[in-house]
Amino acid sequence: MPRFGMAIDLSACVGCAACAVACKLENEVPPGVGRLWIRLEEYGTFPNLGMEYRPEQCLQCDDPPCVPVCPTGASHVNDDGVVLVDAETCIACGACIAACPYDARYFDPRGFVSKCTFCEHRLAVGRVPACVETCPTVARTFGDLDDPGSDVSRAIRAARRVDVLKPEQGTHPKLVYLNAPASFGLHKEGVLP
Amino acid sequence: MTGPVITTFYGVTNDVPFWHWTTLLHFCLVALAGGAALLTAMRAMTWASFPRRLATITVVLVALDLVVLWAESEARFRLTHVYLFLSFRPASAIWWGAWALAGSALLGVLLAAGWGPRRLWGGLLAVTATVALLYPGLALASNAARPLWTPLLLAFMPVTGLLVAWGVALVFRQTDLRPVVAGLGLAGAGLGGLYLIGLAFGGDASRAGLAELWRQGGPAFVVALAAMLLTPALVRRWPLAAGLLAAAGAVLARTLLVHIGAFMPPLA
Amino acid sequence: MKLERREFLKLSAASVGAMMLAPDAAAVKLPNPLARAPEAWYRGQVSTVLSYCENCFWKCGVRAYVSDGRVWKVDGYAENPLSRGRLCPRGQGAVAQTYDPDRLKRPLVRVEGSARGEGKYREASWDEALSIVAAGMLSIKERYGSESMAFFAHGSGDSWFGDYLPAAWATPNVGKPSVSLCTSPRETASQWTFGRGIGSPEPVDWENTDYIVLIGHHIGEDTHNTQLQNFSQALKRGARLVVVDPRFSVAASKADRWLPIKPGTDTALLLAWLNVLVSEERYDKRYVDANTVGFERLASHVAPFTPEWAAGITDLAAADIRAVARELAGHAPRAVLPPGRHTVWYGNDTQRMRALYLVNALLGNYGVPGGFYLAQPPYIGEYPHPDFPLAPASGGCGGASAAAEQTIDLNYRQAVDQGVFFAKTTAIQELIPAMISGEPYRVAGLVAYGTNLFHSIPDVARTKQALQKLDLYVAIDVLPMDHVMWADVILPEATYLERYDDLAEVSGKTPFIELRQPAVEPLWDTKPGWWIARELGLRLGLDAYFDWPDIEAYLDTRLRTIGSSLAKAKPQGTIVQGGRPYLTDWEARHLNPFATPSGKIELYSQTFADAGFAPLPVYEPPEEPPAGSYRLLYGRSPVHSFAKTQNNWLLMEMHGNNAVWLNRSEARRLGLSTGDYVWLENEQGVREGPVAVFATERLRADCVYVVHGFGHRAPDMRIANGRGVSDVALMSRYRLDPISGGAGMHVTFVKLIPGAPRPRLPRLEKLAERSV
Repeated sequence: MPRFGMAIDLSACVGCAACAVACKLENEVPPGVGRLWIRLEEYGTFPNLGMEYRPEQCLQCDDPPCVPVCPTGASHVNDDGVVLVDAETCIACGACIAACPYDARYFDPRGFVSKCTFCEHRLAVGRVPACVETCPTVARTFGDLDDPGSDVSRAIRAARRVDVLKPEQGTHPKLVYLNAPASFGLHKEGVLP
Repeated sequence: MTGPVITTFYGVTNDVPFWHWTTLLHFCLVALAGGAALLTAMRAMTWASFPRRLATITVVLVALDLVVLWAESEARFRLTHVYLFLSFRPASAIWWGAWALAGSALLGVLLAAGWGPRRLWGGLLAVTATVALLYPGLALASNAARPLWTPLLLAFMPVTGLLVAWGVALVFRQTDLRPVVAGLGLAGAGLGGLYLIGLAFGGDASRAGLAELWRQGGPAFVVALAAMLLTPALVRRWPLAAGLLAAAGAVLARTLLVHIGAFMPPLA
Repeated sequence: MKLERREFLKLSAASVGAMMLAPDAAAVKLPNPLARAPEAWYRGQVSTVLSYCENCFWKCGVRAYVSDGRVWKVDGYAENPLSRGRLCPRGQGAVAQTYDPDRLKRPLVRVEGSARGEGKYREASWDEALSIVAAGMLSIKERYGSESMAFFAHGSGDSWFGDYLPAAWATPNVGKPSVSLCTSPRETASQWTFGRGIGSPEPVDWENTDYIVLIGHHIGEDTHNTQLQNFSQALKRGARLVVVDPRFSVAASKADRWLPIKPGTDTALLLAWLNVLVSEERYDKRYVDANTVGFERLASHVAPFTPEWAAGITDLAAADIRAVARELAGHAPRAVLPPGRHTVWYGNDTQRMRALYLVNALLGNYGVPGGFYLAQPPYIGEYPHPDFPLAPASGGCGGASAAAEQTIDLNYRQAVDQGVFFAKTTAIQELIPAMISGEPYRVAGLVAYGTNLFHSIPDVARTKQALQKLDLYVAIDVLPMDHVMWADVILPEATYLERYDDLAEVSGKTPFIELRQPAVEPLWDTKPGWWIARELGLRLGLDAYFDWPDIEAYLDTRLRTIGSSLAKAKPQGTIVQGGRPYLTDWEARHLNPFATPSGKIELYSQTFADAGFAPLPVYEPPEEPPAGSYRLLYGRSPVHSFAKTQNNWLLMEMHGNNAVWLNRSEARRLGLSTGDYVWLENEQGVREGPVAVFATERLRADCVYVVHGFGHRAPDMRIANGRGVSDVALMSRYRLDPISGGAGMHVTFVKLIPGAPRPRLPRLEKLAERSV
């Protein structure tokens, strides 16, 4: 079984938000909530400046804190390592939203919790997630982390540095960030998933 | 490269409150329900003449809490709450809470109706009531990413929960509870103080949380702890006032912690 | 579902057992119709249709996903050389415009007796509305001549309303904002330097370049899809990047060097680079000898323009200036200064573009891998029609270049802006004075197709004055934009997903043709542009030019000229042809690409000298902002296209407002913080806003910056209305470039007036829920 992961190359990302718009349409995300957003960070003082553009979404953790806290098991991990919410058994209690360190989850106004699913419906037919497919700067790579020949594995190997968000939480995200600006210094060096 | 970091976003970030006033109400009701249930259980096990009205009050409070929990959920009309009872989720505090509350209600009905072995039901009710008092703290403390919801809440929440319920019980002249309430008040204030100290020495994230707690409700939290601390001094001569004060302080402290505690330090 | 009791017990026991052993297991599920997850669009029957996008002017090929008569998503497709299977955020988000409940739905006629701008309309049938328009136009023709009608047009339908219909009708007064409000300096300069225009997509050989210098040109906030793809691939390959911009743009944040140049001094920098290339003999001698004329004159002209001279002017270090010139030369010919697109800055922009092209020429990169390639248009036949009485030289960002000699039929008067400036393509903003003054002759009617009159043309007060004086003003558009609700007749066009259009002919290394076809039926009573043009044409007595029964027949006829057909093209979407991208390809066929008077690249332009302009680029210092004022600069958000997407709820969720960027030290000095609301007031006392301040380090202290396209005053566009500030509303004046006719728009100075109230706006979420 594949273990799906994603890498976002921050040196390539320009923060254009094509991925965020694609996600809203692909997944019919209602107004007012989001699976994916872009963080833009400016640092330094004129004229010595830097920018980081960072898309943020569910990091599809290998040790997801949002799964054990679910009282009905609606929040679960499928065989491909994708963390999902079964809307049919979700009671919208919000325990998983509280547990997520990354603000990845939200209440869908139709009465259940939702978040990025790695476009699981596309994976089922051999396509990549919508965000990966549309990215004009090819900042996103995707694939089976357990296959050294997959796009994502090759991208991770070729990267100058690999970071994960909040490594101290021990979540082991399967979405990693590559090539964070070298002078940024605001991420901790991560452990490869 | 040093200098300020200026952050902006494209899109919707989900950085919004996920629990609202209805959840805060629930945290009050669950305290009342759990405390009433435990008191009922204790009376059922130890008193020769058991006041069945107490069991009825327990059932009403538990039912009220369950209704609030159901009604505040966006899934209320999807009827998915049944799955709480069709699953086995021992890592989930809320799962334990669902069973504990449902069990307390059932046992409360049995005790109120006078059906079956009173002491046995009382014993079982003591278990479910304890779980009902413990699970809110667990629900908060399970969230390692939120620095204000520390493991100390596993003790602070049950103590303040009991303070809410038994403080109110003092108002209803359950005067045998006076020494316990006094002890709980002291314990609550002490744990509250330990909680703040723990945050101050807990690392960057905890300190950021403490700053946020202070900013949004520092003085109020101190007032709440003071109210709990005063309980032993007042409880013998003015049990009614002491009970109200203890309950109010406990409610205030719990509300502040749940409301402000969703804080996560900024990523940058 | 009926279960035997025994089976049910077995099932429950097994489930409970499974749950006990696997604590992460899910609940035992019951059939519960109330809890069913919402049916996603992709679970239904989905069909796909190929078309090209209309949310900017790049025209990326898209695949639209249709289910249940509705478009749910668009993506690029791999075979299309523009999208290559990827789309920018505007392309992805265009679907929301089709289902925008604020769209124009039916033809509207201005209520008798009401004033233009009052916004009082009644619905009308197409027949009535078109008849009113035709009658008005014919009346104008009778009283003042057909030239008295003006057409302003932009978008795919500008093939109908900016070329075909005005040509058949016989008016030269056709303006496209993409010319004099955008590209004309770079087109004019290119035409008279290389004998070729630039066009779209810009013919920069990104795939092979090693060193890139951007003057302004905010790639990354400008999300022209293919260019962004190519740019990022070049950087991934290790190409070096230098960005010259008063603002730390996205491109600057990816650059090896950011030169925070003083606004208005870029020409000095370019002249200094020419100086270094010449004086240090780092230019490509062989290329210059073989392909250019005028080198000696250029050499002596640039002698005084040293980096030290430029340093004082540009506020940059001489060492940096010199280093970049040397690095350019070191990487030549795989070193390029791309031309950018919106080049109307200071009114002397043709000279700046000339300087930029001369640097490229000295690097020997024009027509050479790693520099500029030679774009070829695709081959395809026209639909046979009688000769047009005249061909308006309206240009266009992908179309005819600036040297197009207007087909002067002596039976017709020239465009009213001829003689105002040198270039032959019309300048939309210079067609307006005749509407007010009647000189050189009266322009009494205007058809505005997809052109945002109040958000693209500076001096809005003058535009409004002109509109008041017209006998007939017709607006053809998709949304009730500010200027649309001034028209006498409003004709609602269907969006691109609901219509055919003429074929897109895209020049490039491998030129290609794109088909636009509808994915769904037009909503409400909207109609495609081709239908509107044809119906008008028939009512104007232009039947001979519209003898095709419908658009399918028109397209099929055209496609057959290259051995294709509409039926063949529909599943293909794009037809790619061969090109001649490099000088070597032309030389091999004994062809000369340089259509200049001398047949070579003209470093020195005799034509300009003859016309009384500087034959070699000169630097003119810009006006300084008065004390207490800042120069108003503008740019883009990656998720917005000009002023057309601010009612699109999806894109507004990404970026819902603009702010005025101000240098943090300046902000501190003025006592302003991010989030404070201010008014912006220009030198003429025009006050716009309120707008929030964004205090940032990313900008020089002498300018402020806003994202263009906000500040709509259009109550019927419920989302866009009242959000942010309009930069164009503050442009009471512009500087006309006498060579290209371009309207320089970086010449507005504003003061920040604190204490503006925070606007109370309806919540975007609530407005978005109205989406049909």
